[in-house]
Amino acid sequence: MALKRMLENWSRLRQRDYYKDAPYLWGLTIDLNKCIGCGACVAACYAENNVPVVGKEHCGRGHSMHWMRIERYWDEPDGKADIGQQDASDFPERGAHYIPMMCQQCNHAPCEPVCPVAATYHSPDGLNTQVYNRCIGSRYCGNNCPYKVRYFNFFNFWKDLPHPLEMQLNPDLTVRDKGIMEKCTFCVQRIRDAKDQANDEGHPEHVEDGSMQTACQQSCPTDAIVFGNLRDPKSQVSRLWEQHHVVLNRHEQDKSDDIRGYRVLEELNVEPCVMYLDRVRDVEV
Amino acid sequence: MEHQDTMKDVAWAKINADVLRSLEKPRRIFWIVLAVCALLVLSGVVAEIYQYREGMGVALMNRPHYWQLYISNFVFWIGMSHSGTLLSAILLLTKADWRKPIYRFAEAMTLFSILTAAIYPIIHLGRVWNLYWILPYPDARTIWPNFRSPLLWDAAAITAYATSSALFLYIGMIPDLAICRDNAKGWRKKLYTALSMGWMGRAREWMAFRKTYILMACFLVPLAVSVHSIVASDFAMSIMPDWHITSFPLYFVAGALYSGCAAIITLFVMLRHIFKFEAYMTTEILDKTAKLTFAIAMAWNYLNLSEYASIWYSNDMYEKEVLLAKFFGPYAVIVWTMLLCATVAPFAMVFKKVRHSMWSMFILSLVLQLGMWLERFQIVSPPLASNHEPWTWAVVWPGAVQLIITLASFGWFTMLFLIFCKIFPSVSMYEVKEMVFHRRKASSRARLEDLSAIKEEVARAEEGLQ
Amino acid sequence: MRRRKKHLLFGIFEDFDSARDVVSSLKVLDLKEMVVDNIELYSPIEHPEVEEILGDFHQPIQRFTLFGALSGAIGAFLLAAAAAQAMFTVQPQGGKPVIPLPPNIVIAYEGAILIGVLATIAAFFIYAGLPRRLHKHYDNKVSIDQIGIEVQVLPENMHLVRAVFDSHQATEIREVVQ
Repeated sequence: MALKRMLENWSRLRQRDYYKDAPYLWGLTIDLNKCIGCGACVAACYAENNVPVVGKEHCGRGHSMHWMRIERYWDEPDGKADIGQQDASDFPERGAHYIPMMCQQCNHAPCEPVCPVAATYHSPDGLNTQVYNRCIGSRYCGNNCPYKVRYFNFFNFWKDLPHPLEMQLNPDLTVRDKGIMEKCTFCVQRIRDAKDQANDEGHPEHVEDGSMQTACQQSCPTDAIVFGNLRDPKSQVSRLWEQHHVVLNRHEQDKSDDIRGYRVLEELNVEPCVMYLDRVRDVEV
Repeated sequence: MEHQDTMKDVAWAKINADVLRSLEKPRRIFWIVLAVCALLVLSGVVAEIYQYREGMGVALMNRPHYWQLYISNFVFWIGMSHSGTLLSAILLLTKADWRKPIYRFAEAMTLFSILTAAIYPIIHLGRVWNLYWILPYPDARTIWPNFRSPLLWDAAAITAYATSSALFLYIGMIPDLAICRDNAKGWRKKLYTALSMGWMGRAREWMAFRKTYILMACFLVPLAVSVHSIVASDFAMSIMPDWHITSFPLYFVAGALYSGCAAIITLFVMLRHIFKFEAYMTTEILDKTAKLTFAIAMAWNYLNLSEYASIWYSNDMYEKEVLLAKFFGPYAVIVWTMLLCATVAPFAMVFKKVRHSMWSMFILSLVLQLGMWLERFQIVSPPLASNHEPWTWAVVWPGAVQLIITLASFGWFTMLFLIFCKIFPSVSMYEVKEMVFHRRKASSRARLEDLSAIKEEVARAEEGLQ
Repeated sequence: MRRRKKHLLFGIFEDFDSARDVVSSLKVLDLKEMVVDNIELYSPIEHPEVEEILGDFHQPIQRFTLFGALSGAIGAFLLAAAAAQAMFTVQPQGGKPVIPLPPNIVIAYEGAILIGVLATIAAFFIYAGLPRRLHKHYDNKVSIDQIGIEVQVLPENMHLVRAVFDSHQATEIREVVQ
């Protein structure tokens, strides 16, 4: 087994699309037109993944652990960057731009090569995995992440759980100790479960599209989040990517006016697996 | 340069006596400083224990400031460690003999600052207790460290550098240890006997010694350059704006030599005063060190300004943002103070009066070091504060735990250095003797030449008379 | 078998020039009567001219250095490469190079220097004949400013060498039997 994997590694050396024969490549699409910034996905993520709730004080110090976060950007008048100003937006009643931001599962992840102990690596599913047990907390990956979606356990947060609350922890995954990095896993425990189920049903290489949802997708009231297998041409997520002309392994995407699909910080060539659909706004009012 | 030859008349026995006296009963100020340093170290240990128990959060780092003072201190101390190599190895290879009275303490500085620096990556880790996982050892899970990570290169470089500079210091000290052995009593006699390994100054020992010393110097120069380039790679290999800069390795090496030279001047003045080494650590040597510092300061300035220029002209959105934030953002105080201390202040060394005064050089060297310390802070923090992702932009100042540990590291360094100065000779006796020997020879040769010139003149005059 | 006793004559001289003269007269003596076995010179500082008068010491330290540096470089490179192999057996690495050259060259560079330095030090100890016990007749003056000359000589020729020492104003002459 080990030898086989080694030979496999050698035979596919420097191939750009290394895992092209793997049956899965998990991807996400977030439609910002549909996103209303309600934060249900954030709450669901907290509940599903045993993400510690750090409280107001820690949050203020920047120790919050939200694997999924809703970023708010407000309109700037005349393109000036006075975000703090009261008249920051001519149309405050029209609210902010929301971007739900989580680990983009980059195919060329900058966090992977810098880990001194190889605690983070790329799984054949296209997931950027974090091995909690291996992490020694050098925090280099967190610095090198352009999206800043890696979260460090600055404290032993699980110790702060008041008594009955430890009962609501999800038994499918661990509770993390202080001193390690963690981040969005695309609900890897659910992916595992779905794969096992597919195995039991007799189609081991194929998880039916829609048979598995990530926690954020499940809780999104407007269905803004679509999760699925990008290798499966019939999956919803694949069709969306195709429809919006976003192609993997290409960092200059189609930027025509009517195309809404883009990936965040694409120009860094990190090959994220999350496609966003731009919000169409009526700016001429 | 008639000043240069002031050293040719020093008696060799006096050299031994002077240096050995510095090992004897220290003054009271020594104990006071040592106690203060020990206290600082103790407070640092307490802070570290607190951080160890509670988690890294007590240091007030956060997202996106995953790295802060620990890393900038690490860079600072590694930079400081380049001084000894510069003074000892480079000047040895270029045969600049004015290094001889001052290289020993510079080498000791190298060793101790690298020992100080090596602490930082350790206390910086989130899970210190798993530190050994970065060592390449076979284990049952067949997991190995990731050699692609610049942190692993750091580990390799620091191991090589600490070992080599400790050995360089030790080998260069063996003849002096033999002198100490010949004059010591009690536990010191035992220590020096063991350490000097029976050095007797036999011809074959000297020949092997010289060869070894030069070979090691040849290793140390590229090693020192590689060590700080590798530290620079920690930043340059990332994709962070204003860290991912091609000129960083060179810039770091120049900065390292710069702060190292400044530190040498500080310790030079201090040692000269404390141990009464006026006969050996002369104003001429200070003058030369200051000139060297000035040259390196200019190289560093050039690299610093060219970094700004290349960011500005590249017009890269992210990098420009960081650059502007550096000058006009929340960390502007740091950056402007740094420029004042490290770019403007060295121009004081243009004046001979400044270079020749112990006091002015002492203060100036402290100013330069402050500038270089701030430089390390502004390398680490402002780019993190304005990274690719505007939503995470945050300004964070280091918390009390980090500051205490920073102070403790200065205490730790000074403590090690003071103890070293009391146990080992901080001026190289045999090299000073060599210096005296060669200068004496050179001056007698010059006198002979003078004599023969006079003779010739007389002869010519006689011819003319005839 | 009992070791044959060594008879040594140890003299101390004021400066290096007279010591050099002593050595050259001893050489002349040796040419004539073959009495001098082994000349050893003790000095407080290094005198590079020593090799000219005492003959080549043959200390190929640089070969150790070269060997150490090469084996260090190769060893470190292999270590990094092999660690990557071992790693690849348990962790798929997503098409990244199995032996990434730039990082491995950095590791090899550090390895070369580390092992090179250690080999040089080892060679130093070998060729300097250290560590060893101090000779009984070792004199502290040698570590201050005097030059010591030690000559191994048969007891019956001792007076010849002593005469040479005397003629060059030796400050102290000692006979040593080892």
